[in-house]
Amino acid sequence: MEGRSQDERYLEAAAQYGAALHRLAGAYEADPDKRRDLLQEVHLALWRSLASFDGRCSLRTWVYRVAHNAATSYVIGQRRSRSSAWLSLEEAAAVADSNEGVRAADRRDAVDRLLALVQQLKPLDRQVILSYLEGLDAAATAEITGISAGNVAVKIHRIKNLLTERFHEGGGRGK
Amino acid sequence: MESDDMRNIWQSQGGPAAPLSLEELRKKGAKFRSRIVWRNVREYVGAAFVVGWFGYCAWAADTGWRRLGSALVVAGAFYLAFELHRRASASAAPGELAWRSCADFHRAQLVRQRDALSSVWKWYLGPLVPGLAILMGSGCVTAFRHSITAGLLSLIPLGAVALMLWFVGRLNRNAAAGIQRQIDKLETIAGE
Repeated sequence: MEGRSQDERYLEAAAQYGAALHRLAGAYEADPDKRRDLLQEVHLALWRSLASFDGRCSLRTWVYRVAHNAATSYVIGQRRSRSSAWLSLEEAAAVADSNEGVRAADRRDAVDRLLALVQQLKPLDRQVILSYLEGLDAAATAEITGISAGNVAVKIHRIKNLLTERFHEGGGRGK
Repeated sequence: MESDDMRNIWQSQGGPAAPLSLEELRKKGAKFRSRIVWRNVREYVGAAFVVGWFGYCAWAADTGWRRLGSALVVAGAFYLAFELHRRASASAAPGELAWRSCADFHRAQLVRQRDALSSVWKWYLGPLVPGLAILMGSGCVTAFRHSITAGLLSLIPLGAVALMLWFVGRLNRNAAAGIQRQIDKLETIAGE
């Protein structure tokens, strides 16, 4: 990346991670119009930040940190008075899913329910579950989020259980 | 459906690589910078108005107390403008979004909000209080010299302003305490 311009770096980042950023915006904002604005804000933040890209971390870590931090600032600003409504992974697992018993075979339905689940999580838990869903390993997630690797591993274990319970074919939660 | 299947389903959602062209990004970047400039201009114009008005009052005052009160309001407005400028300059640089991990960045934002709220008396309300107190107090003294009734009536606005300042300070302190609880939770999660 040495000697490359801000625009070139941005185009590379957008080509590699554009779809992931699109999904990330969906996980932070449910309203379609606001989601489009948020996605634009994230891309603007990424483009501006890449003027000072210095290789201190990988492009992937850089992109995800910028995206999560920009999106978290956005939701904190949007929901300052309602942030107490956010749930931790543990609390989300304890809350009954209104779609319990419904088969999650329909992919669209599964995505909608997954989005609804992610959107109610506290920022750090949301960052961990999104990293997991994007296929990042625990070390990469720890580097992006700043949570200890051990804590990330524990959270991923809880995420797997939560997803299996919520989306188990046939809908049974096993409890 | 296993959790790995959910990963596949999640990643199967497509999306455009970039919602904005480079030209649109440049335009939005310029708009963002101009919004910051205009926000600062509005604050300085507000401070200039206060300085101008109370500066005139200090010059035209018929008593030493009113002159002193107006001069103190002018000094308070200068200090307030300086603090607003200092705090605006300390806002996050574009690269900071990437230099800090999510937990660090989130914590820094909360700490910044907490400190601004908990010190609101020191930098926002406090600087104007001495001048306003002297101005309103001298008004009360003048009213009492005129008649007891006028004096007692003049205490009403003084009390209302004092009550409002106390209320604003209290609200900010409570909000700061709520943010501190969020910081404590965040530190517990990040440090575990």
